Amino acid sequence: MTKEKNYILEVNNLSKIFDADTEQEKDVLKDVSLKVDRNEFLCMLGPSGCGKTTLLRCIAGFESYKGSVTVNGVERTKPGTDRIMVFQDFNQLFPWKTVEKNIQYPLKLQGIRDKQELKQRTEEVLQKVKLSGQEKYYPYQLSGGMKQRVAIAKALALKPEIILMDEPFAALDAMTRNELQSELLRISMEEKCTFIFITHNIQEAIVLGTRIVVLAEGGRIVVDEKNAIARPVTPASEGYGETWERLHSALYQ
Amino acid sequence: MNDKNRQIHAFAARAVFVIVLLLIWEYVAKSGMMGEKSELIFPSLEAIGDAFIRNFIQGYAGISLWVYIGNSMKLLLEGLLIGVVLAFLLSGLSMVSKIFYDICNLVISVFDLLPGVALLPVVIIIFGVKPGVIVFLVVHAVLWPMSRNVLDGFLAVPQIYVEAGMNMGLKGASLLWGVYFPAATSYIVSGLKVGWARAWRGLLSAEMIFGVASCPGIGLFINQMRTNMNNAEMYATLVVIIMIGLVVQYGVLSPIEKCTVKKWGMSR
Repeated sequence: MTKEKNYILEVNNLSKIFDADTEQEKDVLKDVSLKVDRNEFLCMLGPSGCGKTTLLRCIAGFESYKGSVTVNGVERTKPGTDRIMVFQDFNQLFPWKTVEKNIQYPLKLQGIRDKQELKQRTEEVLQKVKLSGQEKYYPYQLSGGMKQRVAIAKALALKPEIILMDEPFAALDAMTRNELQSELLRISMEEKCTFIFITHNIQEAIVLGTRIVVLAEGGRIVVDEKNAIARPVTPASEGYGETWERLHSALYQ
Repeated sequence: MNDKNRQIHAFAARAVFVIVLLLIWEYVAKSGMMGEKSELIFPSLEAIGDAFIRNFIQGYAGISLWVYIGNSMKLLLEGLLIGVVLAFLLSGLSMVSKIFYDICNLVISVFDLLPGVALLPVVIIIFGVKPGVIVFLVVHAVLWPMSRNVLDGFLAVPQIYVEAGMNMGLKGASLLWGVYFPAATSYIVSGLKVGWARAWRGLLSAEMIFGVASCPGIGLFINQMRTNMNNAEMYATLVVIIMIGLVVQYGVLSPIEKCTVKKWGMSR
C-alpha cells in the first residue's frame, strides 16, 4: 500500500448555494474538488461569475459551505493565519496604521512581542516587495501598486502555509502590473509558500503559475495542467503561444 | 502657501464680520433707538465689558463666576464620561447580538426624541434636587446621539477591514476593538461633537430651571442675572458660554480630529 500523499490543501466536494430556498437560488459551486501540492503556484482562470472568488473565500473561511477544506490534513472552517488573503481592493490595509504597523499588528496578535524581531521581520518583507524605507507612511499616502506590495509583505511576514490572492493586480495599470508580476514571481520562487492566485488574465496565469486551472460555470474544472514553460516566461518562450491558445479556448468555450 | 493664504483670508473675513456686528450693536445701544427699554435690550459694550469683569471678581452671592463654571464643568465631564462609555457599550453589544441591536435601535430612536428637560419632573421626583439629576440629564443628552453615531459607524465599516481582521485571527471583542472602533473613528468623533453640544445645552437648561444649592452652576448664575434684571451681566455670561464652547471645539475636538481621522487620510 502506498503512503497517501500529503497535500497542503484539499478541497473535497465543496458546494455553495447563494440565496438558498428562494427564487434566485443559484449553485455557485457544485461539488468542487481540488488538491494543491506544497509550494505550488496555482493560477485559477475563469470567466466572471464562475465562482472562483467564492471558492477562494470558502478556502479562506469567509463563507459557509457544504464539503470540506483541509490544510495539511486538518479541516478548516474559520479564517486563520495559515491562509492569508490578499484582496483585489487597494483599501485592504488599515488606514489608521502606518505601513510598519499594518505589517506588525497581525504578528503581535500571533504573540510576537519582541520589538527587535518585529522590526527585523518588517524590514525583511518590505525589502522583498522593494518598499524599504517606507515604514512610516500611512496607506492613503501610497499609490495603488504600493498598497498591494504592502498587502503582500503583510501576508509574507505571517509566514502562512498558503497565500490566497484574488486578482490582486487587476486594478493596476499595465506597467505596474507587469512589474508586480515579475516581483511576485521572484518572491514565489524564493519563499517556501503555496500560492493560489485568481486572475482573468491568461498572460498573468502563464507567467506566474506552476499549475493552471480553468474553471467554468459552477466551479467545474475544465483545464488542470502543470505549466511546463521554462521560467521566467515571456511571450517569446517556447510553448507560450500554444498554451495561451489552449487556455483561451477553454476560457471562452 | 496657498493654504496659509486661505486661512488668513478666512480669519480676516470673520474678524471684519464680528467687528461690524459689534459696531452696529454699539450704535444701537448709544442711540437709544429702542426707547426706555434700550438699556436692557442693548446694554453698551462698555457695560457688558464691565459686567464681564465683575462676574469674575464679585460674582453672585459672593461666589465668583469661576466657581459656577467649575461646578458646571464637573457635572458635565462626569455625565459626558458616563454617556460615552455607555454609548460604546450599547453599540458594542449591538454588534454582538442581533436581538440587542433591534431593541437598542428602538430605544435610541425613542429617547433621542425626548428632550432632557421634559424628563426633569420625573427625574426630580425620583432623585430629588441633587447634582445627580444634572448628571443624569447630561448622560441622557450624550448617550443617544452618540450611540446612534457609533452604531452607524460600525455598520459602515467596510467588509474588507472586517475580513482582513478575521484573517489575522480577530473575533468577537478583539475584532470590535481592533477593527470596528478605529474604522468608525470619524463617526465616533462626529458623535462626540453632537453629544457635547447637546450635553452643554441640556446642562444649561437644567441649571436654569432649577439650581442645586450644593453645586450651583453657570446656568443658575445666568438665571439669577435674568431675575435681577442685570442684563449686562447676563450678556457677559452668554459670552462666557460661547467662549467655553469655542475652547472645547478648538481645544479638544479639533485636535482629536487632527491626530486621528485627518492624520489617517480618512477625512479632509
